[in-house]
Amino acid sequence: MLKSVVFKEWLKVRWFLVILTLIGVIAAGNIFLKVQHYITFQEANKYWYRILFENVQYFRYLKLVPLLIGLTIAVAQYIPEITSRRIKLTFHLPINENKILLLMLGFGVVILLISYAIIFSIFFGLSNHYFAKEMVQAAIISVTPWFLAGFAAYFMATLIIMEAIWKYRMVYFITACAFISLYFEYSIAGGYGPVNLKLSLLTLLVSVSLLFSAYRFRKGEI
Amino acid sequence: MEKISRYIIVFIAIIASTVALPKLYWLAFEKPIHAPIVMYSCIDNDFMIMKRHEKKMIREDNKGNEYTRDEYEQKLPLFYIRQLLISGTLPDSINGVEMDVHDINKARSFFRLKPKNMHTPEPGLYPLFESESGRANLEMPGDFFRITWRMEFIHAKQNKIIEEKSRMFTAVLQKRGFEFPAKIIAGIPTTRKSCDEGYLVIDNKDQLFHIKMVEARPYVKKAEVPEGMRFKHIACVDFKNKKYYSHLISEDNQIYILTQDEYELIRFPIEGYNPEKEEIKIYGDLFNYNVVLKGENYIKVIVLDDDYNKVDEYNETWTKRSERIEGKFFSYIFPAQASMYDRTSSFTDFYLERTSGYNWLFLNILLMIIHFFIIRKRGLKLGKHILDFAVVAVTGIFGFIAVNFFQNKFFD
Repeated sequence: MLKSVVFKEWLKVRWFLVILTLIGVIAAGNIFLKVQHYITFQEANKYWYRILFENVQYFRYLKLVPLLIGLTIAVAQYIPEITSRRIKLTFHLPINENKILLLMLGFGVVILLISYAIIFSIFFGLSNHYFAKEMVQAAIISVTPWFLAGFAAYFMATLIIMEAIWKYRMVYFITACAFISLYFEYSIAGGYGPVNLKLSLLTLLVSVSLLFSAYRFRKGEI
Repeated sequence: MEKISRYIIVFIAIIASTVALPKLYWLAFEKPIHAPIVMYSCIDNDFMIMKRHEKKMIREDNKGNEYTRDEYEQKLPLFYIRQLLISGTLPDSINGVEMDVHDINKARSFFRLKPKNMHTPEPGLYPLFESESGRANLEMPGDFFRITWRMEFIHAKQNKIIEEKSRMFTAVLQKRGFEFPAKIIAGIPTTRKSCDEGYLVIDNKDQLFHIKMVEARPYVKKAEVPEGMRFKHIACVDFKNKKYYSHLISEDNQIYILTQDEYELIRFPIEGYNPEKEEIKIYGDLFNYNVVLKGENYIKVIVLDDDYNKVDEYNETWTKRSERIEGKFFSYIFPAQASMYDRTSSFTDFYLERTSGYNWLFLNILLMIIHFFIIRKRGLKLGKHILDFAVVAVTGIFGFIAVNFFQNKFFD
């Protein structure tokens, strides 16, 4: 039965996942088309100097990609559940309701992980091709919060979508915006170093937010 | 499980509002705090102070006499030399020294170090310029070096290590007693300087080395450092008078210079400098060094003569932001403020500043009372909401917003 639930989730998101991952791959590839162009026109040493000492962030085009993917997957997965309150059908299955929700959530996390891993690998691989390890390390530190934000946005979007009352949806949305913006503060390359671990823990914590609004949904708030 | 998830979300909402609400408050109500500009006058041998007072600039001396702009500039001829030349008011000589424009310009220097310059990610890679190329301008080299277990040069275009150059420099460093890896690498990595003096490097045993490239060959000199002296920061300078290579800050917050060619360490007689919290500016001119230490609510100016002896000192304080009316009002509302950035660091982190005093407890209690009425109005049992009350009591307005946005509806 769990396999059927997973399959149902897959049916909802498969095309979104493929297209979004493709967009992410193109975005990552595009970064290096630009890098390659810069090197040809500006000379590699001057480009390295600008990255190392003038805070040119070659990876900045990746910024909103994980966020976009996380939000879209959340929408693709959960909007169908609340239209006509379809999730109630799932809740009629002989499994603990929280278990089903966590399964759906877990599925979302796994496909996001796969999508991000693909995009990140391309970014990492090409970065290492063009740049020395110090520059790549600073870039990794800088893009990590953006990927974490993708997960956090997925979790908070599920909270917002599953909330039945519009009044609360609005305040959840405001809170989510304020929280997610913490992942996108202006920083120099490598600047997010001290806080990435804390942000990872917070992202992990916020993963259970779905359970809160789903509970209210179940108890017939509407 | 759901209850835990609600408290997690409440926690997240508290974090978000502890960052967002104070930020909005200061955006709306913060006023600029203008520190006075204090310079030492070589005419009067006393301080001249320029400050903003109710939208006007006031220029006065240390005794409180006010001056017009022209009079003020004439008291600081070395700083305002260009203006005095245009106005024709530059004296022929001061203190018996002839006012030669060339000498004055050569003696001028400006050095600035902020705490965030010290708390910043290190690039790890640096360009080693050819310091005697015979060309008028410096050229950016095609490779960058790092000093880890050896000194390595990486060719930027190929992204590959240049083995021969790496081995050559590493061998010379080893011969001079360098212990890998480097702790500090300091230099001026741009071509926009008068000449290249390479890098000052602290090795793993706290020894100080001067590394340059001269006609493609390594130049490595070890500077003698007193036993047990450790440096936490080195900032190289490019001054016209070429008296010293850099400023160095020791672990015990003393400021040193490293003299050109002699590699002598000379201490500036500056006491109480806190590099983690204060910005330092050093204005050098023909006669003096004006050392300005600025903190959040104070300024300390120490004047040194040309031989780095202390001549005079000036101190002034002003009210901090938290002591002004907008700060006092803040203390009645917010128990703390969080921020992702701090003026003393280039790193992004959660910086939490607790509000000093307990004025905000009044609002916390008021909010608890309001929350009490909200719970009553919804017809709920108080006992089940104890934890919410505790949250409001401790975190005040942040918690109040969080527990009402994400309502406790488990016991309806």
